[in-house]
Amino acid sequence: MQAEGIQYIKFTTIPPETIKKISVAKLIVPDTYNEDGYPIDGGLVDQRLGVIDPGLKCKTCGGRAKSCPGHFGHIELVRPVMHPEFAKTIYILLQSTCGKCHRVLLKQEQIDSTEAKASLATTEEESHEVKVSEVEQERIPILKKLKSVKKCPHCGSPQAKLKFERPTFYSIEGNRLKQDEIRDWLSQISDDDLRVMGVDPTATRPEWLVLTTLLVPPVNVRPSITLETGERSEDDLTHKLVDIMRINQRLEQDIEAGAPQIIIDDLWELLQYHVTAYFNNETPGIPVARHRSTRPLKTLAQRLKGKEGRLRYNLSGKRVNFSARTVVSSDASLTIDQVGVPVKIAENLTIPIYITQWNIDHARKFLESKEYPTVVNVIAKDGTRKRVADTNRDDLLKELAPGQILERQLIDGDIALFNRQPTLHRPSIMAHMVKILPGKTMRLHVSATVPYNADFDGDEMNLHLPQSLEAQAEARYLMRPHDMILSPRHGRPIMHIEEDEIAGLYMLTREDALFTKEEACLMLASVGVYELPKAERNGTYHGRSIFSMILPDDLNYEGKSKLGKISIKKGQLTEGIIDESMIGASRGELIIRIFADHGPEAASAFLLNATKLALRAVLAAGVTISISDYYNTEAMNKERFKIIAEVEAKAKQIAENYRAGKLESLPGYTKRETLEIETMAQLNIARDMASEVIKRSLDMNNNAYLMATIKARGNILNFVQTSMFLGQQAIRGRRPSRGYGRRILPYFKPGDKDPGAKGFVRSGFFDGLKPTEFYMHAMGARDSAITKSLVTAVSGYLQRRLINAMQDFYAESDGSVRDANGGLIQTIYGGDGVDPTKEVIVAERKQQK
Amino acid sequence: MARTPPLILKHELLSESEARKVAKEYGVTFDKFPKMLETDPQAVKLKAKSGQVVAVHRVDPTGKYMAYRYVVKS
Repeated sequence: MQAEGIQYIKFTTIPPETIKKISVAKLIVPDTYNEDGYPIDGGLVDQRLGVIDPGLKCKTCGGRAKSCPGHFGHIELVRPVMHPEFAKTIYILLQSTCGKCHRVLLKQEQIDSTEAKASLATTEEESHEVKVSEVEQERIPILKKLKSVKKCPHCGSPQAKLKFERPTFYSIEGNRLKQDEIRDWLSQISDDDLRVMGVDPTATRPEWLVLTTLLVPPVNVRPSITLETGERSEDDLTHKLVDIMRINQRLEQDIEAGAPQIIIDDLWELLQYHVTAYFNNETPGIPVARHRSTRPLKTLAQRLKGKEGRLRYNLSGKRVNFSARTVVSSDASLTIDQVGVPVKIAENLTIPIYITQWNIDHARKFLESKEYPTVVNVIAKDGTRKRVADTNRDDLLKELAPGQILERQLIDGDIALFNRQPTLHRPSIMAHMVKILPGKTMRLHVSATVPYNADFDGDEMNLHLPQSLEAQAEARYLMRPHDMILSPRHGRPIMHIEEDEIAGLYMLTREDALFTKEEACLMLASVGVYELPKAERNGTYHGRSIFSMILPDDLNYEGKSKLGKISIKKGQLTEGIIDESMIGASRGELIIRIFADHGPEAASAFLLNATKLALRAVLAAGVTISISDYYNTEAMNKERFKIIAEVEAKAKQIAENYRAGKLESLPGYTKRETLEIETMAQLNIARDMASEVIKRSLDMNNNAYLMATIKARGNILNFVQTSMFLGQQAIRGRRPSRGYGRRILPYFKPGDKDPGAKGFVRSGFFDGLKPTEFYMHAMGARDSAITKSLVTAVSGYLQRRLINAMQDFYAESDGSVRDANGGLIQTIYGGDGVDPTKEVIVAERKQQK
Repeated sequence: MARTPPLILKHELLSESEARKVAKEYGVTFDKFPKMLETDPQAVKLKAKSGQVVAVHRVDPTGKYMAYRYVVKS
C-alpha cells in the first residue's frame, strides 16, 4: 500500500517495557571478545545484536554482515540512574509537585482553568501543533512560580526547598535524594496532574526519565576496527558501555554480598557518572571520559552535535562526483573562456559519450586507445557498467553499438563549471572550456580572476563536469565567461584590464609611441597578427596603428578619456590615448562598445589581445618606479610648508572665532561640534591643496606619477602622504579626542591648541614621522582596520539575507518581476525595465527614434 | 487638511472594474499583488476596504511607473 504522507512526527521517551520488547538480548558480560577473538555470548558484541564481520551469521535474523540491519540489546541496571539530558525537566517536575502527596502545587481552580485550555487544544485537532505550543508557553512561567509554594494546597504538608546540583543530583534540606526515591516520587504523580503541567502521560511517564533499563545500540552503530597488527579496536560507545556494565556488575555483587551502604552508594554514583558520560561526554559538571590515548571519548551527543556531527556533516552536508579542486594559477596564453586542467585531474574525470550511429567511429577511437584519452567505463544498454581493462578491451570493441554509453577521460574542449567560494554572485560559477596542461594547478586567464575575486596566493577553486548533454548545452549557452563580461549590476565590464596592461596601452598609444619594424612585428605576432599596419613616413610604426590591428575592422567610436578625445574610425584609432576609462574597471567604454556592436566573442578576443599587446608594450617601455620619483624640489617643499602654515592659521582663526563666540553653529550641531567639524574640514583641505601642488610640479616622466595619472597603480594621495605630509588622522570620523584627560598623549600640554596635538601629521613618509605623529597614525590605522573588518562582515551578511529573500524572483516576459508563486513583485523590472547589461543598446535605440 | 509631505507617493483607490483590468493585464488574481493593510495610513485616508486595490504612482530615479497594492484585513 502506498503511504499517504506524513501527518506529524512525535518524539517521546521509551518506557522500560518497550526497551525490553525491542531488545533481542539481555547483556550480562562486561566484555567483548574472548581470547580466541570470538564474540562472547551476552557480551557487548553478542551475535544476536547483529554481525559486522564477514562470514558470521546473525543469531537473530540469520543475515550476513551486509544484509543484517542490526538489533538492539539491553542492560538491566541494578539500581536506577537519572537520564542526564532530562535532569532539568525532572527538577521542574519535582519542584512543582508535593513531596508528600505528589499532587501539583496548584490550587484546584488553577488546575481547572489550565485543564480547560488544554482540552481546547486537543479538541482542535487541525491546529494541533500551534495550540499545544501556545498552551505550553503559558505553562512554563506558571510552573516556575511553584518552587516558592510553601504549603501543599491539597494535603497541607509543608514544602521544603529542593536543590538541584549539576549534573544529576537533587537534595532536600541538605539530604541527597537518591535516584530510586526520585523514581518513586515521579511515578506517583497522577496522569491528570501531568497534563496540567504540560506532560502527555501517554507519551511520557516521568518515571521513565529515571533509567532502570539501558538500550544498547546494535554493533552496526559501534563497529570495531581491526588494526593491521590484528589487534581489535573498539568503538567509543562500546568502551563506555563496557564501563557501565562493569560497574553495574560490581554493584550487583556488592549488594548481594551485603557490602556496607557507603561502598554501594559510591558504586551507584560511579554508575550514574558512566551513564551520564555515555549520553553526553560534555555534560557540564562531569569530568570528561577519556580514551587510553587521553583523547576524549565521542559518546552519543557528540555523534550528533556540531559541525562534524551527524546532522550538519552527514545529513545537510552534500558531496558531488565529477568534480575537482586544486590551487589556481595564471596563464596568459589561455583565453578567458578556458580553464587549464592538470593531466592528473583529466585522467581521473570522465564524461559520457552517448553512442549513436553517427558518432560510433569517433567513440571507437577512444575505446581503442590504451593511454590517456581513453575510455574508463562502458555502460551497456541494460545499464551494467564495465570497467575497461587491457584484458577485455577487444571484447568491448566488438560489442560496441549505438545505445551504449562510454565514459571517457576529460579532453580539450570539454565544458566544465569553474567556481570559487564564496559564491556571491552569478559569475562566481562560469562554464569554461577545458584545456589539458602539464603541472598540478588549474589555470585561468588573469582577466577572469575579477568575477571570481581570485588571486594566486594559494587560492583553490572547484571544477565540475556537467554529465548530460542537456546540462552541457545549458552551460555552453548560458554560463560562458564571455557572456558575463558586462556586469548585470552596473552594465560595466567585470572582466577588464588592470595595472600593467593599462600602463602598456598607454605606452602603446601615446603621441610619441613610435616603434621599429622589428618591434612592431614582435608585438603583433604575440597576438597572432602576421601583417603590418601602414608605416609612418620615416618607416617607423605608430603604436596607435599597431593597437588598431586588434580592433574590429568596422568599429567606430567617439568618446572622451581622462587624457582627452578618443576617436576610432573604421577600426583605426586615429586620435587619443587608451587609458583606464576605455578598458578598465571604472567605465570600460571600449569594451562595452565592442560587446554591443560585435558581440561577446569579439569583446573577449579584444580583451585577450589587448592584454597580450599591452604586456609587450610595457615590457618594451620598462615602466618602473624608484624613491627618486618622490624627491621634492625646493619649490615643492616651500609650497608644502606654506600649505601647512596656511591651514593651521585658518584652524587657529576658527578656534579664536569660537572663543569670541563669533562661530556660527552648523544646523543640528552645537557650537563645540561645529568647531570640531570646521577645524577638521579645514585641515583636510591641506591634502587637496598638496595634491594640486603635486599635479602642477610633476609630469609623465615621473613613472610613479604616470601610473597614478593613468590609473594603472597608485594615486596622487600616495604622493601627498609620502613626499608632502600625512595630514589629519581621524578616529571614528573625528579628530582623536581620548587619552589623558584634556590631551591625547602625555607629551602634549593639557588643552594644547596645536593641530598636531589632535592628530594633524605634518611629516610625510619620506621624512619619517615624529613619535607623536606615529602614534596618531597608528590609532587612525587601527580604527580604519577595525571598521573595515566590521563593515565587511555586517554588509556581507546583509547581502546574503537579501539574496536569500530574492533568490527566486525573475523577470517575466511582460517585463514584470514575479516570485516563485507568480506573485507580482514589481510591475516593471527596476522601474524602467532596463537590463543594465544592454543599457548601451537601449540608449542608442532611443536616440535613433 | 494637512499638506501631503513631498516624499509620500500619490495613492489612488481603483474601482472594481479598473482593478480587474489591471489584474487581467498582468494575468494574475488580486492575491498575487503586494499587500497593504486596511489600517495603513494611506488606506485609511482613501477609505480603502479589504478586497479593493490601491494604485501607487511611483516616482524614482529610473522613471515613473505604477505599482498596486491589494488591501487586506489586518
